Amino acid sequence: MSQVAESSHAPTSTGIDHKKLIMWLFLASDCMFFGTLISTHLIYRKLYPTGFTDAEGHQHFVQRLFDIELTSFSTFILLMSSFLMALAVSAMHKGQIKSFRRNVLGVIIFGLIFLGCQVYEFTHFYHMGLTIQNSVFGSTFYVLTGTHGTHVAIGVLWLILLYFYSFTGKLGGHVGALDVEVAGLYWHFVDIVWIIIFTVVYLIEYLGPNGFWGTGLPIAK
Amino acid sequence: MSHDTHHAPVASKLDLAPERSDLGLLRPDRSTGLMDWLTTVDHKKIGILYGAFAMFFFLLGGVEALAIRTQLARPDNDFVTARMYNQLFTMHGTTMIFLGVMPLSAAFFNFLIPLQIGARDVAFPRLNAFSLWTFVAGSFVLNASWLFEFGHLAGWFKDFAWYKSLVYTDFAPANGWFSYAPLSGTFGQADAALHAPRFTGVGTDFWIIGLQILGVASLAASFNFICTIVNMRAKGMTMMRLPVFTWMTLITAILIILAFPAITVALIQLMFDRQFGANFFNPSAGGQPILWQHLFWIFGHPEVYILVLPAMGIVSEILPTFSGKSLFGYPIIVFSGAVIGFLGFAVWSHHMFTTGLGAVPTAAFALLTMAIAVPTGVKIFNWLGTIWGGRIRFTPPMVLALGFIWMFMCGGFSGVMHSSAPADSQQQDSYFVIAHFHYVLLGGVLLGLMAGLYFWFPKIFGRMPKASVAYVASGMVILGFNLAFGPMHYLGLAGMPRRTHTYHAGMGWDTWNFVATIGAFILGIGVFLAFANLVWTAFKGEKCSSDPWDGRTLEWSLPSPVPEYNFARSPIISARDAYIEHKHGGHKIGYESDGGEAGVHMPSQSWMPMLASFGFLLIGMGMPMLAMMIPHAGWIVIAGIGILFLGIWLWALEGPGGYMLKTPSGSTSPSPVSATSSTH
Repeated sequence: MSQVAESSHAPTSTGIDHKKLIMWLFLASDCMFFGTLISTHLIYRKLYPTGFTDAEGHQHFVQRLFDIELTSFSTFILLMSSFLMALAVSAMHKGQIKSFRRNVLGVIIFGLIFLGCQVYEFTHFYHMGLTIQNSVFGSTFYVLTGTHGTHVAIGVLWLILLYFYSFTGKLGGHVGALDVEVAGLYWHFVDIVWIIIFTVVYLIEYLGPNGFWGTGLPIAK
Repeated sequence: MSHDTHHAPVASKLDLAPERSDLGLLRPDRSTGLMDWLTTVDHKKIGILYGAFAMFFFLLGGVEALAIRTQLARPDNDFVTARMYNQLFTMHGTTMIFLGVMPLSAAFFNFLIPLQIGARDVAFPRLNAFSLWTFVAGSFVLNASWLFEFGHLAGWFKDFAWYKSLVYTDFAPANGWFSYAPLSGTFGQADAALHAPRFTGVGTDFWIIGLQILGVASLAASFNFICTIVNMRAKGMTMMRLPVFTWMTLITAILIILAFPAITVALIQLMFDRQFGANFFNPSAGGQPILWQHLFWIFGHPEVYILVLPAMGIVSEILPTFSGKSLFGYPIIVFSGAVIGFLGFAVWSHHMFTTGLGAVPTAAFALLTMAIAVPTGVKIFNWLGTIWGGRIRFTPPMVLALGFIWMFMCGGFSGVMHSSAPADSQQQDSYFVIAHFHYVLLGGVLLGLMAGLYFWFPKIFGRMPKASVAYVASGMVILGFNLAFGPMHYLGLAGMPRRTHTYHAGMGWDTWNFVATIGAFILGIGVFLAFANLVWTAFKGEKCSSDPWDGRTLEWSLPSPVPEYNFARSPIISARDAYIEHKHGGHKIGYESDGGEAGVHMPSQSWMPMLASFGFLLIGMGMPMLAMMIPHAGWIVIAGIGILFLGIWLWALEGPGGYMLKTPSGSTSPSPVSATSSTH
């Protein structure tokens, strides 16, 4: 029987496991995916630096819309979730299933906090007058950050399934460690993408006295 | 480990004891007939299914093309309405590219790649089945638009409230295969139901979601094939010993994973514009329709190479075989393919010369476009070098491959003409462009793929297609093709615009349009004849030996049809063109001591990939129905997403399974070469 197990995991030409390789390939593809979305946002931001107009015709500035403290907090939380994910992968490699569960539960909770912050942020922005329909900024902002949020949500769902799967006793050994590592690769990638989004969508709005796009403070409110 | 099977090795999978997956469900491993084909994870069967669907859609796209040509046969014709004409040329282009050429290439990838690299399967067999069924779901969604269109023409929907509220009723896509915004998008402000006014009917929504689903299928297949080629090569099969077809597949797959995300995002944005009132391309809200063009062609130009590189790989296999020589300049051919792939990402704006990019970008894209002719020309010279001094045998695949070189070269020449921006601004949107890309895609790619079909068909089914019919069909295809598309160069330069439903008499276009229509029908009959010959051969054709062409690569060392485990014992390679070296040279193929009575590991069959794909089908049907305001359509989408996740979840939980199959343990060497079958 052990021979059977060996043959289904025959050594690969490169020495890299299939699952790990295919995840790297997926991430390469996802780079282009987020690259396209982020480019769209930046192009329109440059084209329309003055922000957006709400349903009542009031002009809004992005600087005043963002709640940078909240977003910084959720960014920090997501960064820390990556740290816990690394610990979870390491624990799995050492066969410490309990430590794995503890850490992965931490990742799940941190991921949910991030998603909660995003839901709060979206609702808040909506009440401030920013909708997907009333401006190009609304369209690019919600679709970009929403797509990232969907990635986080899928990651959380994946980790929840792995967490419960670990109680069946089937998650273990080389295969189990590989499965967790692959989920970890995905999670770290989603985190890195957020670092980029946080920088080029949020932080640069606060660069210099008038923001990166050269817009000043709100004219009317 | 519960992941792995407890079966003892069996001679046939029909001897397997019933096995339950980790979920407790019976695995469909022992099924035969339809059940077997629906749940198969065998790359050869998946390849055959891809090929069958692709040939069907080729004929469907061909019928659409003939309707277009019938309409244009004489001036002021009214064979179809202008509205139907728009739908016909849009669906013709979309069908040929995404449902004809790409899946036919995928059929070759599937069938050949594991055989050429000495593997027993692809890296992810169930993911491979998922790619197939997701492609089928996407193709169904796209063509379901025709069903709605016919329902509309037949007046079935007259009494429904949702139908009465539709402003535009083109149910099939009608924007051209590139669906330029703002025509495909929205204008004005969205209403309370998040719908902004649109320029076109729900056909565009079918197009958006259909292409999105096809993109998922292509991406999943490409991840799988890169993984397979990089990771599953037999011992001694170094990268520079890979057959050229395998190399071109690798480059194509890399292009797909890097180019498709751009269209994926563009489609998401267009979908948000149309269905949720976003403003990505909405001019009245500041959206820039030009962004669609950029995103589309960042995908669209690499897509051209995604279509043509597999055909180049096929021709690179056929020419050496029938010239009795090894491929001239193998490393240069491989390198040129990689350069074409790389440059393919740097020329997209040559589709947009007339949009006013500015002098510097226009000049840069013109130069890069001219540069891409260099690696392409290198390949053509290498092919000529391969034939040069060879002992040429004329067979149907060889004739088609030589046709490929000629026709593709003609398409390349007019392509170089387009690369000059001032010339292009005259040719833009004229029939000259139609002539150019049909020479590349039909004279080039289709001839290459047909050559491949006739070349590998004896390997796939163990039966030889009738050469006489094949020659007649090839002759009709090449003659009809030139008759149809040659005159379009003239028509284009004489000013005839693309995508126009009809033209007035006295423009000087009458004669050549009529000639083109006659050519198109000869071409259509030729392609049908070629395909009919193949289908007949698959069932009734004359049996042939396992190596009828004196083949050069590993797949010819296997029996025909290839057994489900591919290699009874895994090969050990010591040269490029491993099998011809084995037969006539000093480098014999060695064999590992696996297989035999101990058996080889076979992946278990599964329903789950198809279940997940069924989720995509529901999403794909639900989204356009949502756009049509059909009541409760949203629930179809939600059910689709649910089934998609359920399918993936059960797929993960059922475990890969697998069983052991005994292989013949006698002689391990390939079938002996008889004196008569060799021309050396």
